[in-house]
Amino acid sequence: MINSKNFRHVTNVCVSLLLLRCMTTEAKRNRAARIRVGKGDKPVTYEQAHHPHHIGHRKGWLSQHTSNLKGEDGAAERTVEDVFIRRFMFGTFHGCLANEIVIKRRGNLLNVCAVMLQKLPPQKFYFLIGYTESLLSHFYKCPVKLEIQTLQDKIVYKYL
Amino acid sequence: FIGARYHFSFHLIRLQSCSKAASRGQTFKKQNRRKVNNKDRNREGPASLSVCSGHRKCNITRFHLPLTPSTSFHTTVLTSAAQSAITVTEEPDTLFQKLVVLVKGHDRAVLDSYEFFATMTAKELGISLGKVFEPPKDIERLTLLKSIHIFKKHRVQYEMRTHYRCIELHHITGCTAQVYLEYIQRNLPEGVAMEVTKTAMEKVPDHILEPMWKEIPTDDKPSQ
Repeated sequence: MINSKNFRHVTNVCVSLLLLRCMTTEAKRNRAARIRVGKGDKPVTYEQAHHPHHIGHRKGWLSQHTSNLKGEDGAAERTVEDVFIRRFMFGTFHGCLANEIVIKRRGNLLNVCAVMLQKLPPQKFYFLIGYTESLLSHFYKCPVKLEIQTLQDKIVYKYL
Repeated sequence: FIGARYHFSFHLIRLQSCSKAASRGQTFKKQNRRKVNNKDRNREGPASLSVCSGHRKCNITRFHLPLTPSTSFHTTVLTSAAQSAITVTEEPDTLFQKLVVLVKGHDRAVLDSYEFFATMTAKELGISLGKVFEPPKDIERLTLLKSIHIFKKHRVQYEMRTHYRCIELHHITGCTAQVYLEYIQRNLPEGVAMEVTKTAMEKVPDHILEPMWKEIPTDDKPSQ
């Protein structure tokens, strides 16, 4: 399922349906990319607070490329690239990501936009940015640009 | 240009008339007081002058690509495909009766703003605009199983919407079309695809101007 992978940007893993098999008398609710309402102590960003059916209405797209349009091909390759880039960024800048990564493709250029927390000194940031850019460029054989913005803390939209 | 997706390194260029490009600060010899083609300022080759009376009358400029170290991928290097030398040729320019630019995207707002940009560019360049309309959107729906194992009755549905926008330009020359399309395409937003259809006009060949039966009055029909 191509689009479900793009929805998997929640840090809390959804409860798998195998565990729910004993409770099949209840209605099957969608659990994809949703943080369930709780006590009110969990801070949640704008991206996490809105459910996937709000994409295009209240949310934008995290990965922008043309291969999902009608008459265009290459969707699977772009999706695999996106998944790899997200995991790579998550691992390289561990604990520093404030929000989901936005990947934009324009012509040959791959633009990775991220919002980071100021947990590392700027020199380390610059090194990691250069390292990521050159490694991904050599890996994907196309120019890769990283656009980073740093914040003090995560922006909380509401508490669930 | 027809119906293809482009893979060239993206570099935003400003639409250049003869003498309005930004200079990079390198010195050049100004031999007389004519306007200089500013592409030469960026090059280390011989600077040649051109007269700005019209886009067909520029002299041949020879230049070399900038000798910047290109070890890192993210420095923008102007590729040779993006810049061709301005040449003077005697052959007539191709004429296009119609140039149809169809843009496709997932977001209607992005296509709205792009249409505004493209129509404004056409007006500024003096290109006659035809129809600018919105073909109906296409929705591709998929119904998939919600669970990885059994639960056939529980499915999940996804859809992919493709919005279109069509811009038609009439009576355009080859040079203008090339410049306009290049500018439009370099500023294409991410997630938007474009298809261009050109309808060229050709001169009617001489051998079919006169009907054949007028030239051979004495030949008898062989099937008698």
